Amino acid sequence: MPYLAKLEKAGIPTVLVDLADQHNMVSQEAMVSGVPKIRHLHASRMLPGPADVDQWIKPLLDALTRPLTDEEKATGRWEIPQQRVLFTGTLEEAEEFYQQTQYVPHPVNANISVYTDGFPIVIPTEERVQKMLKGTSHKADELIRLAEDLPPYIGAMGRATKKGEPVLFHPLKRTATVEKVAINAVMAGCKPEHLPVVLAIAQSGCSISTTNFPSQAVCLSGPIVKEIGLNVGVGHLGPGSPVNGPIGRSYQLMAVNLSGATPGINRMGCHGNPMNNGGMCFGENADRLPPGWDGLNVEAGFEKKESVVMVMQTFGGIVGSQFSPGGYRALQKSGHGGIARRFGVKGQPGPHNWLNYIVPGIWVGREGGATIIMVPELAQHLVDLGFKTKDQVYDWLWKKSFEPLRDYRNRSWPDFARNGWIGIEKTSGKPWKELADDYMVPAAGDDPFQSCVIVAGGDEEAAVEIHGGRGECFSIDYWR
Amino acid sequence: MAGKDKVYECLNPLGIQNPVDTFPLAPRLDTLDGKEIWLSITGEPDITIALEKKLKSDYPNVNWRQKKTYGIFPVQLTEEEMKTADGLIQAVCW
Repeated sequence: MPYLAKLEKAGIPTVLVDLADQHNMVSQEAMVSGVPKIRHLHASRMLPGPADVDQWIKPLLDALTRPLTDEEKATGRWEIPQQRVLFTGTLEEAEEFYQQTQYVPHPVNANISVYTDGFPIVIPTEERVQKMLKGTSHKADELIRLAEDLPPYIGAMGRATKKGEPVLFHPLKRTATVEKVAINAVMAGCKPEHLPVVLAIAQSGCSISTTNFPSQAVCLSGPIVKEIGLNVGVGHLGPGSPVNGPIGRSYQLMAVNLSGATPGINRMGCHGNPMNNGGMCFGENADRLPPGWDGLNVEAGFEKKESVVMVMQTFGGIVGSQFSPGGYRALQKSGHGGIARRFGVKGQPGPHNWLNYIVPGIWVGREGGATIIMVPELAQHLVDLGFKTKDQVYDWLWKKSFEPLRDYRNRSWPDFARNGWIGIEKTSGKPWKELADDYMVPAAGDDPFQSCVIVAGGDEEAAVEIHGGRGECFSIDYWR
Repeated sequence: MAGKDKVYECLNPLGIQNPVDTFPLAPRLDTLDGKEIWLSITGEPDITIALEKKLKSDYPNVNWRQKKTYGIFPVQLTEEEMKTADGLIQAVCW
């Protein structure tokens, strides 16, 4: 939309075609871009292209020639109230106020919370926010800016990438101060010692993506894990921790309040994602990392003694390794059970490479890197097999993902991700369109490092896989 | 004052929305004939192929130009191209 705004401003009339259910999103983006009356019309989700075009080609061209209305000729200024104190009253009254909703028409047709994720919140009184602010040395009115350069990333449209730039919280391109982040941290149920983590998360801009089935999660690495008592053991992805839960929730509340994310208006995940329900924060169990395996902090270029948060954009849900009770142990101890039969190692004690059980299933429905969260014992077995570093695991996974180009072409996303097969395939250095059908290409993406291994969880032998996930790491120490 | 009835000031969690100056749309064209109109294609070929075909067949007097990507970010006109562009259709995205 900023591009169309630029053209309109330069005197070049435009019209855009979108889909009816995205009307609210287009209108909001047009307002934020300064062209609230931009002309747009809707294509069909179901009609074949020629029949669809027949329906709107005349209105489409009419939009370039029909004289402007007075509204379309108007200049103006869009601003919303920015009062610091939002509500004054008793706690009971405040609870009702902060739980207010707005009705969002199609494609939602239901009430959506204005200030929350739908659940009750801790009311952000002045006193509570001041107490929260004691968790950082940064001043309350300091604008959240990037502490380090970031690489450009297609998934977060127009975000800040240079050190010192104010972080823009999309989709509304809002900014935030330390106090704004602290307010949301209070609402999420965080404690002051969590605030540096929440501030580091805020540096990501708390993207929520738009359509499809996206989810967000944050993973902590470094001394902070122990300092704040993050659960990295049994149930670390589930409910129960007063640390994991509130920090995970803080991401979603910042998405709602700092970014302005609203289902049906600009948060268009067609099903939503249960991982975002209450948010998801977990951490790396550095004490149980096998010798030679780096933590996420070191993998991201930080030192082992530094604390970081990795902000993850993932696709879909979580798939478990689904080993039966005792099934995994039978494989490794004595070479018995179904997994041993599948591997053809009946009667042969391990270690055996359990990753073979979950590939190629990882890439059945989606391409690109995967995050594998494995309990310490599974990690140790990989080390015993010769995976002396995580990089060796990433390389093995990547090579396992290769498939003939004919199969890769039959997937949904590569048409989009490979820009209609224009350009160069990286492993061959040749144009995609010149490669033979049986040329082998990686379903796991162009870079083995897109995958991510995290050691955490309890003792029961299991791993979980999430699509995507390798995200930028932000310094927590910077925000202490 | 008793705890239940105590009045609190509660703070605003919303991000800072900088004011946006809004501006008028560009003046529309008196005719399409002889004009240079760009079709900026962003994916959805089942629609855009049909659209491009029909534009060219039904409106032959327009000087149709094209930018194309399968992604969601349009291939933008250069500054030079903007000097002669008379209009632009963006499909299917925003």
